[in-house]
Amino acid sequence: MAAERTNVSNDLIWQITRNQNAYLVRRNAGGGSQFSRDPLNLVNKQSFKYAGYANNKAVGVQATENGGVAVTTKKPSNPQQPGKNQVTVSYGPNTATRKIYKGVADKTAQHGYRGDLREEAVARVSAIRRSQKSKKDVPARKPRGAKARQAAEKDQE
Amino acid sequence: MASRPTVSIATAEGKASGASQPLPAVFSAPIRSDVVQQVHVGMAKNKRQPYAVSEKAGEQTSAESWGTGRAVARIPRVSGGGTHRAGQAAFGNQCRSGRMFAPTKVWRKWHQKINLNQKRFATASALAASSVPALLFARGHRVAKVPEVPLVVESKTFGGALTKTKAAIALLQALGAGDDLVKVQKSKKMRAGKGKLRNRRFRQRRGPLVVYNPETDGKELVKAFRNVPGVETSSVFALNLLQLAPGGHVGRFIVWTSSAFEALDQVYGTTTTPSALKKDFLLPSNNVANADLARLINSSEIQSVLRAPKGEARTKRGVVQKKNPLRNKQVMLRLNPYAAAYSKQKLGQQKVDGGKPTRAGDAFNKVLSEE
Repeated sequence: MAAERTNVSNDLIWQITRNQNAYLVRRNAGGGSQFSRDPLNLVNKQSFKYAGYANNKAVGVQATENGGVAVTTKKPSNPQQPGKNQVTVSYGPNTATRKIYKGVADKTAQHGYRGDLREEAVARVSAIRRSQKSKKDVPARKPRGAKARQAAEKDQE
Repeated sequence: MASRPTVSIATAEGKASGASQPLPAVFSAPIRSDVVQQVHVGMAKNKRQPYAVSEKAGEQTSAESWGTGRAVARIPRVSGGGTHRAGQAAFGNQCRSGRMFAPTKVWRKWHQKINLNQKRFATASALAASSVPALLFARGHRVAKVPEVPLVVESKTFGGALTKTKAAIALLQALGAGDDLVKVQKSKKMRAGKGKLRNRRFRQRRGPLVVYNPETDGKELVKAFRNVPGVETSSVFALNLLQLAPGGHVGRFIVWTSSAFEALDQVYGTTTTPSALKKDFLLPSNNVANADLARLINSSEIQSVLRAPKGEARTKRGVVQKKNPLRNKQVMLRLNPYAAAYSKQKLGQQKVDGGKPTRAGDAFNKVLSEE
């Protein structure tokens, strides 16, 4: 946290909140799985590395309503001011995916921001873009066999 | 402490007023969620009312056991005849109309004694946690639009000027707390179970807590805020842990009036000057001067006394995994040194030599057919 607050740190916040927090989703399925709903969590996994609320520097990648991608980062300088703390860059639906990858990778890894999150951030962009693609229609089944072909021709007549 | 951090004071419109106040010392108290939880458990128990079943329930019959020899269980049985009840088992917790197992008593230990110092520690701890945005987020408060945490509003906004709920809601919305109010409104759900019949019909989240100083802010704001779902008000002189850390989870979103914020140093004192209002109370001090673990570990003081790590970054695995010698030649050679010569001479690929077998001949056939 802020340099002047000596009684608070990211590690302390994580230790206080790791057993319960508003973003945590626990299920018995899969041997007691733990996930996170944090918008600043790149892999939706409950862990200190990916917990966006507990880290001064965090990256979030979300799909926008118009079919684009929004990339959010936290400013490490003013953690006490939540209103001014986040920077969002949004990419429109027509931006080339590779261009978004480049932007996201630069944002996470350059200037020593969070190099450890670069791969996950790019992977999340990729996953979002794939989900935004419209699905191709399944082609109609061709009739197989002489009888089926005849029946299909009859249907057409 | 070098320079104490300051907190800017917001106007009623949510803008910075330009004025600021030094952060009261209570916000640098240690955040001990374990202390808060323990005290919260005790405090929550102290509001309970005793309940118990009637002492007579299930014991209002003169049943006695029939003893052995009647081919029925030795449980007490209702005496007499002429009614179905006669001969039925009684008293036992397994019996119809019997008493319950270990009937509840009104003299159960309902209340918990909590040490005063612990209570004060927990309150200070919860207050310190309320100034950490990350903990507010983790508690579920929607504070993403709040200009600053702790959120302090000019006292001249109150002081009898804020009397209407409409104005109170407008104030909270201007301060960026509107999302939290929406969260509370959406969270209203019917309570599960019998609580519905006991005047606890709905359950909902908690919103912001407005802390005021009754001496300067007056008490009108209590009425203004009291019908806003989820919003609670508290005097700075009577802060309650049940409100500061609902459910024992630290990080309540607090809206301070500037005079209440100012009064905090008077109420809690510092780690060296005792509180003016609480007898024999000094703020607890932190066990570690710097809570940032990563910075501690990477500090030159620590790194300089650590020995270098032993071994390499990648350690060779011992005999942990069985390898298939038919696929892995090195493992095969270890097991069977002859395998090298065998494969070099290509013995495996050779045909059995000797050509076609010769016919057995007449003599053999004669013997076979016993001619």
